[in-house]
Amino acid sequence: MHIVKQLMAIPGVIAAGEYAYRGDRYSYQGALTDEFARMASILCRANTLSVNMQSEMLDSFAENSGLRPVQGWIVRGAEVTVCAVGNYFSFIENRDELLNDVMTIMRAKVGDVQDDLLVNLYARLGGDTREALY
Amino acid sequence: MDLQKLMDLPGTLAAFTYTDKGELQSHLLREGTELSEEMLDLLSRSCVANLAIAGLEARGWESLTGQTGFQPLKGFSVVGLEWSVVADGNCGVVVRNRDVDYEATFKALQA
Repeated sequence: MHIVKQLMAIPGVIAAGEYAYRGDRYSYQGALTDEFARMASILCRANTLSVNMQSEMLDSFAENSGLRPVQGWIVRGAEVTVCAVGNYFSFIENRDELLNDVMTIMRAKVGDVQDDLLVNLYARLGGDTREALY
Repeated sequence: MDLQKLMDLPGTLAAFTYTDKGELQSHLLREGTELSEEMLDLLSRSCVANLAIAGLEARGWESLTGQTGFQPLKGFSVVGLEWSVVADGNCGVVVRNRDVDYEATFKALQA
């Protein structure tokens, strides 16, 4: 089953989708309008690039520290949590065990994100992989 | 914040506190871990930056969309290949991914 469908089948998952690193291409299911999904996609791209940049800095202090390549990130809100793994995101309610379950599924379905993820994902969109990504 | 309590969370490799500016204040490291004080110092700075950005996003998202439930922010986590750093307020923990319980960790940081 596709990861987004699988996530949406879980009670408490508000929305889930796939975003591109360009931020302006996305697909989603759930309780978001098209405009909100576009904004979520841009937000996810910005956060993903930011934490990747940070991990590269950390790597200069200690190579192979275990952080790189970054797999994703989580923003924990008061009642809602946003999590991203690779180029997938989900908005979920703060229910018991839901965050752990969603992260387990996302990590398992996306697989280990590799170092060249940005280039690979961009290529999947049909873009020029040599074009600057940052 | 009782760092020793945080070290009791499953898979915790390090627990640390930092100032509002991101300077490492105190820390505990699990024996045998490859993490260092220098790395925790850099992680502290990234925690402050990421929490500030996430706070901005939460406020902006609520304002633009009218959706609620994002504020007040309860933490931010960066998920690495082998471990994750989970932070809230002026405290962070580094937790091994294979043992991590994100919900318990966020909860412990708010205690």
